[in-house]
Amino acid sequence: MLAHLTIVPGVGLALGDMLFFAICFIILMWAIKLVAWKPVTKMMQDRADKIANDIDSAEQSRAEAAKLAEQRQEALANSHKEATSIVSDAKKQGQEQRASLVAAAQSDVQVLKSNAQKDIEQERQDALANAKNDVADLSIEIASKIIQKELKADDQKALIDSYIEGLGKHNES
Amino acid sequence: MGDPSSVPTFEFLGLTFNATNIISGLVAFILVFLLVFALSRKITMKPSKGQNVLEWIIDFTNGILKGQIPGHEVSAFGLYGFTLFLFLFVSNELGLFIQIAVGGKDYVRSPTSDPIVTLTFSLATALIAQYMGVHKLGYKQHFKNYLSPFVFWLPISIFEEFTNFLTLGLRIFGVIYSGEMLLKIIGEMAFSHGIATIIVSAPIAMAWQGFSLFLGAIQAYVFLTLSSVYIAKKLEIE
Repeated sequence: MLAHLTIVPGVGLALGDMLFFAICFIILMWAIKLVAWKPVTKMMQDRADKIANDIDSAEQSRAEAAKLAEQRQEALANSHKEATSIVSDAKKQGQEQRASLVAAAQSDVQVLKSNAQKDIEQERQDALANAKNDVADLSIEIASKIIQKELKADDQKALIDSYIEGLGKHNES
Repeated sequence: MGDPSSVPTFEFLGLTFNATNIISGLVAFILVFLLVFALSRKITMKPSKGQNVLEWIIDFTNGILKGQIPGHEVSAFGLYGFTLFLFLFVSNELGLFIQIAVGGKDYVRSPTSDPIVTLTFSLATALIAQYMGVHKLGYKQHFKNYLSPFVFWLPISIFEEFTNFLTLGLRIFGVIYSGEMLLKIIGEMAFSHGIATIIVSAPIAMAWQGFSLFLGAIQAYVFLTLSSVYIAKKLEIE
């Protein structure tokens, strides 16, 4: 019907070709879709998604790393502070201990000294008391001797002298 | 050395078929399929050689489409653009490598050097453009576009559709057909007067083949670009 229409002289307008090419093109499109288009575009989409994800996760891990570094810095600073405080505490404690030790020693010494003084005093008192007792005993003895012997004044004098002499020696000893 | 008027034709179901077109068309279809098939064998997340080439072509055709068609409608034409570009490219270059003529009749040449083939594809583009226009805007708005900027513009709008269809197909046909014709003329010249003409013609033939190679690529690119322009024009309200 349209076969006699010509565009280029001598070339028939072969409508059958049109149909053939249309059908073949559709088949080719379908085959390419099946073989290449679908898997490749899917892979390209997947890759785009993966890259986007990777960028996101990289951003995230970077932020995390920054946070960790900050924490570490903070911990380091804290530990510095802590160490200095420990050292200063120890120093202070040592000083306190020293002071208390010195004080204790001083008080001990004081106590010992006072005790010694007290002991000495006590001993002197005791010695005095003993001396008094001795004097009294001697006096009593002398008195009894006088009473028994009816001593003369000379005898008494000699006796008393000798007694006092003895007393003096006794006290000195 | 067949001249274009001597192509083998046959009738089937009342339609005229051109054996040259059918044979060379089949060769081009098979070549395109084999190319894509070979390039898409190992598809991995980290692309290898073939996949890189394939993805580059896909990006290229998608880029052409995205340059013209707005929004997400592009994805619907990705496969069409990709197949069209590859087929036209292979068809344009086919005649430069293989031209088989038996008994003064061509059997294999560029399918695109026949207007009926290129007009098939421009008709397909025109139909897709019309369909997408109706699909996106609805019948009313779609046909209203023919009346803009004013009602009396209608004949010009209809005429424009027709010329778009014709020029799109005939541009690529003209370039490829004339390229092959010139190559044939140079070939005839080469064998006309013995050794001397062969020496003179060989560099001319080589230069013209190189230029035709370039023209074939450009024409495939232009065809796809104009197709996307025509489709994009139908997608917006004028």
